[in-house]
Amino acid sequence: MANLSDKRRRSRGLHRYSTGDFFFDLFVAIFMIVVAVCSFYPFLYILFYSLSNVAMINTPLLFWPKGFTVEAYKLLLSDSTVPHAFLISVLRTLITPVCNLFVCLLAAFALSHQHFPGRGFFQKFITITMYFSAGMIPSYILMVRLHLTNSFLVYVIPGLFSVFNMIMIKTYIESIPPALEESAMIDGAGYFKVLFRVILPLLKPVLAALFLFMCVGQWNTYADTLLYNAGNKDLHTLSYVLMNFIQQSTSTAEQARERVGLNTVNTTSLKMSMTVLVVIPIMCVYPTLQKYFASGLMIGSIKG
Amino acid sequence: MRKKPEAMEATIETRKTPRSVSFKKYYQLYLMLLPAVVFLAVFSYVPLSGWIMAFKDYHLGQDIWSAKWIGFKEFRFFFTGTADAWETIRNTVVMNLMGLFACLYISAAFAIFLNEVRLKKMKKFIQTASFFPYFVSWVICYMIFYAFFSKSSGVINQLLVSQGVISEGVNFLGSPTWSWWIMLFVGVWLSLGYDSVIFLASIAGIDTEQYEAADIDGATRMQKIRYITVPELKPTLVILLILNSGSMLSSNLESNYLFCNPTNRSTMETLEMYIYEYGLSQLNIPYATAVCMIRTLVSIGLFLIVNHVAKKYQGTSVM
Repeated sequence: MANLSDKRRRSRGLHRYSTGDFFFDLFVAIFMIVVAVCSFYPFLYILFYSLSNVAMINTPLLFWPKGFTVEAYKLLLSDSTVPHAFLISVLRTLITPVCNLFVCLLAAFALSHQHFPGRGFFQKFITITMYFSAGMIPSYILMVRLHLTNSFLVYVIPGLFSVFNMIMIKTYIESIPPALEESAMIDGAGYFKVLFRVILPLLKPVLAALFLFMCVGQWNTYADTLLYNAGNKDLHTLSYVLMNFIQQSTSTAEQARERVGLNTVNTTSLKMSMTVLVVIPIMCVYPTLQKYFASGLMIGSIKG
Repeated sequence: MRKKPEAMEATIETRKTPRSVSFKKYYQLYLMLLPAVVFLAVFSYVPLSGWIMAFKDYHLGQDIWSAKWIGFKEFRFFFTGTADAWETIRNTVVMNLMGLFACLYISAAFAIFLNEVRLKKMKKFIQTASFFPYFVSWVICYMIFYAFFSKSSGVINQLLVSQGVISEGVNFLGSPTWSWWIMLFVGVWLSLGYDSVIFLASIAGIDTEQYEAADIDGATRMQKIRYITVPELKPTLVILLILNSGSMLSSNLESNYLFCNPTNRSTMETLEMYIYEYGLSQLNIPYATAVCMIRTLVSIGLFLIVNHVAKKYQGTSVM
């Protein structure tokens, strides 16, 4: 990459910087600024709005908080709903990916062995499920039958395995030289011992990346709460609470505001503060997420 | 090296051994596969048997075997009883295909031009900023679009009204004319950074000699993009097209549940939302199950079409 830009820079010396080049650079600059602003300004806007005194907001765009106040956040956290939902979200975000990766790891290690009777069958049995799904209603009936509705387990059990993660891990295991495993086997280790003592330590990068990606997915989803746990307030996740909050445009937030009688806060600023609370944890892991992606770890496995 | 023939002999030997012996040898591998196989059997294969509900007059809480057979009544009603079938299938197909193609082409263009940014830090910054929306949830995405596009309080409408461009806010989120464009924009906004990373990686893999030769021939940067970068990116585009068309099978209830409202229903409602409405809000289980079956068939159909087109296209571009 560095080599390429070096050579280009040198070769550019041969040519005069023409008007065409100028317009090209101008176009690139405008395109990039538009993308960067569209991608990131909305988050800043939401942050500024949530920290503003709404009585002082008089322009459509905000470039800093106007009349700095944290009343909206205080109001949100004064109720036990948000902290409780936060706890449920954190629990599901940590438990499900760990269980999922464990099951995926076992299956991936088994399938990375080329020669054992029935391998082809198992491989097909597993991968074919990527291409069909019975749909929402049969799944719902199944959850009811398994008594998973209105319980925390519905966040964990349906997420115990995913074919995509298994393929990622399997691709990675296959890139490890088989001699490593063979020598351990000659020393008398069984498959379980090989997996946990020899292979697992080498899988740390891919497992960490998948873990983080799964965590973000678990944190963000709200469909399972909507379908299976909507009736049980104790099991609402933060995403679901936010969704409810946004959908019921006036009721809850307005009531809360009227109860307190504040005029520095309105429904919109409450919604925005809630949004900020949900985004912050993602923002915290974002640099790591991007690092894993930029290092080509995930891309390599996608291509493979 | 000395071990290799031994290992091969061992595998040949195992093929000859009777089943019981090989099971003893590999039982640990079968144990490892057990959780995944049981999981998929229960959560992927068993629900398929639930499709039988589409042919029975089933109500929640009833025993499925005692329900009366009703044949294809629900399917007939879906297609002939209302205009819903045409509208929801059209919305599903149009929004998925538009999103799929627009996202890939725009992020390819973005990657190409991002590669022309000479300041390394600037490049890194723009990439970081553009990647972030990929990780936020549909709820936050909706909140942002609500803040910017809503009719009276949205930033865009407020700006346009205050500048005198329009006299009254445009109802982006609540009118049938805008819903496809909004969803297209949402899709591009969310996945631009993610898709472009893959394109950037394949641009970095292009042989630099081609660019050097073009430089000597006096090619402009635009010409280099047109005759070198774009043709080299075509295979990546096709691979991504096939991969992403698989994700059309996954649920989009989360986005539709938020963006669909009574005023834009006619162009916004997809099959998934329709199933939710009829199945879980109105508890018309047989009807919703019938639509579930149709949805699965539609998405498999879409996947096969994209696959076919992509293969054909790749075949000609390789020649």
